[in-house]
Amino acid sequence: MSDNPILEVKNLQHIYMEKTPLEHQALTGVSLRVYDGECIAIIGHTGSGKSTLIQHFNGLMRPQRGEVIVDGHHLSDPKLDIKGLRRKVGLVFQNPEDQIFEKLIGDDIAYGPLKMGLPLKEVRDRVEWAMELVGLSFNELKDRVTYALSGGQKRKVALAGVLALKPKILVLDEPTAGLDPRSRQELLDNIVQLNKKENMTVIFVSHNMEEVAYLAERIYVLADGRNLIEGTPRDIFGNNETLAKHHIGAPQTVEILTKLKEQGYDVNLKSYEIEAATKEIVSVLQSYRR
Amino acid sequence: MASFEFELTRNITIGQYLPTGSLIHRLDPRIKLLAFTILVIAMAICHTYVGNFIALAFACYLFYISRIPISYGLSGVKPAIPFILVLAVLQLLFYSEIASGGTVFVDYGFILITSDSIRLVIVSALRFIEIIFLSSVLTLSTSTTQITHGIESLLDPLKHVKFPVHEFALIITIAIRFVPTFAMEMEKMMKAQASRGAEFGTGAWWRIIQRTKDVFPIIIPLFNVAMARAEDLVLAMEARCYTPGSERSIYAKYKAKSTDYAALLFCILFAVLLLAFPFPY
Ligand SMILES: Nc1ncnc2c1ncn2[C@@H]1O[C@H](COP(=O)(O)OP(=O)(O)O)[C@@H](O)[C@H]1O
Ligand SMILES: [Mg+2]
Repeated sequence: MSDNPILEVKNLQHIYMEKTPLEHQALTGVSLRVYDGECIAIIGHTGSGKSTLIQHFNGLMRPQRGEVIVDGHHLSDPKLDIKGLRRKVGLVFQNPEDQIFEKLIGDDIAYGPLKMGLPLKEVRDRVEWAMELVGLSFNELKDRVTYALSGGQKRKVALAGVLALKPKILVLDEPTAGLDPRSRQELLDNIVQLNKKENMTVIFVSHNMEEVAYLAERIYVLADGRNLIEGTPRDIFGNNETLAKHHIGAPQTVEILTKLKEQGYDVNLKSYEIEAATKEIVSVLQSYRR
Repeated sequence: MASFEFELTRNITIGQYLPTGSLIHRLDPRIKLLAFTILVIAMAICHTYVGNFIALAFACYLFYISRIPISYGLSGVKPAIPFILVLAVLQLLFYSEIASGGTVFVDYGFILITSDSIRLVIVSALRFIEIIFLSSVLTLSTSTTQITHGIESLLDPLKHVKFPVHEFALIITIAIRFVPTFAMEMEKMMKAQASRGAEFGTGAWWRIIQRTKDVFPIIIPLFNVAMARAEDLVLAMEARCYTPGSERSIYAKYKAKSTDYAALLFCILFAVLLLAFPFPY
């Protein structure tokens, strides 16, 4: 982890449809810092501005007020190399399977690299690399038609389409929403692998606290267009007062531990991980036996 | 580059209802549709400068009394500007035979520009803007349900000649209702493809094939989304026991009041004025 953040947001504000009767302030002042190689979760209720925020990361939106700095480049700079930025920051939208448009899987994933003007050999290598990363066999699937895939597979194709740009920062908007449990777990494992093995910085939006606890090193909580609190899952999920005060959901492990504590058992609420929580419960059971 | 590069919905005023509770909003939708039709016909026929400027002023006045910011009308005109310009050039070059009267300004080869053809060009552009303004006021001040009911009851007499009035009204409602939805979908699609390196409208305009290919990544997914939406809609309608062709009652009963008749009369008089008054220019 280096000292300079790879992505920094300072007091960012955004107003939709400014100067029309439908104007709506979606971001009222967000600040955050993400360091190289981190895995960050952004959580918050629907309408709190998460999607608006992340669209600033690859320049789909430019800061109206405030600053966004990606890898040393200011997004308000009119001379910014926007194509370069979009290669550096890969953004995977919510329900990304909707954006698949080619007939064959391989062609769809190759769209980004082809647009970059890479030689065909390099494009092919990247498609293979991206497909294998998300667990799709290149040889078997590259020439299959896209519309005959399951929902989970389609989402993987869409993810591979972004990965083929070889981004340094991967940003995902509710990546597992609407997936079946198995595809969900596979996708989560893909993300862990990208973060740990490929050293991609990952920023993801999620409503699922189990997922957040499983993946994130740090969490930012958004509400009404501003960030409320920031901290490690341990800090946030382990503090009942903060959770209650800001109406944040918690992983089920935390809920079980909280219930135990309410019943008078001596458990550590910060043990939100499955193994740690199991240990707490086992120790409760053992004290009961004695 | 503006910060709202992808804010498509900003320029789409059709299908957006803006409830301000003004006099125009409260008018009977049937009366509004009738008055709208009469005014559009009058504007389309009126061919004088003065008449069209008066009509434009009238359209602006309608924005004022419906308490809808005029910027709404202007943003509806913006996407039509290229079209208006192309139309103007074509008319200037190729309509000289029809409008050959008046003073001749240029007579060079096949190009013949006269005061009449210039009038045609300017008046056409004005008409275009007037009609966009008028449609914007209509759709911004009338909810889609009201528009459907209005169309349905105005077309009711056609039932006698077996015209499917109800189905027709339903199709129109659905079409209008989904314009903003598809604008949103398209915005999302453009953003998603731009994140993968797509560029829109940057290639040189003469590379038509390239620029056409550039829109495939948006059009194809949009088509899929439209299909999926249509299917959802069918399910939702069937789940509520919608049966085509069966007798349906209407929840909202409209009864025209004296203000409605007054408004209609006013519009008819205005239309007659536009058409019959001998404007000097
Ligand atoms: N294109 C848009 N035009 C106008 N308002 C929008 C648009 N997109 C989002 N909003 C509004 O901005 C707010 C934040 O939206 P969003 O960033 O999508 O929140 P989240 O992703 O946290 O659910 C919401 O109140 C939403 O209604
Ligand atoms: Mg969202």
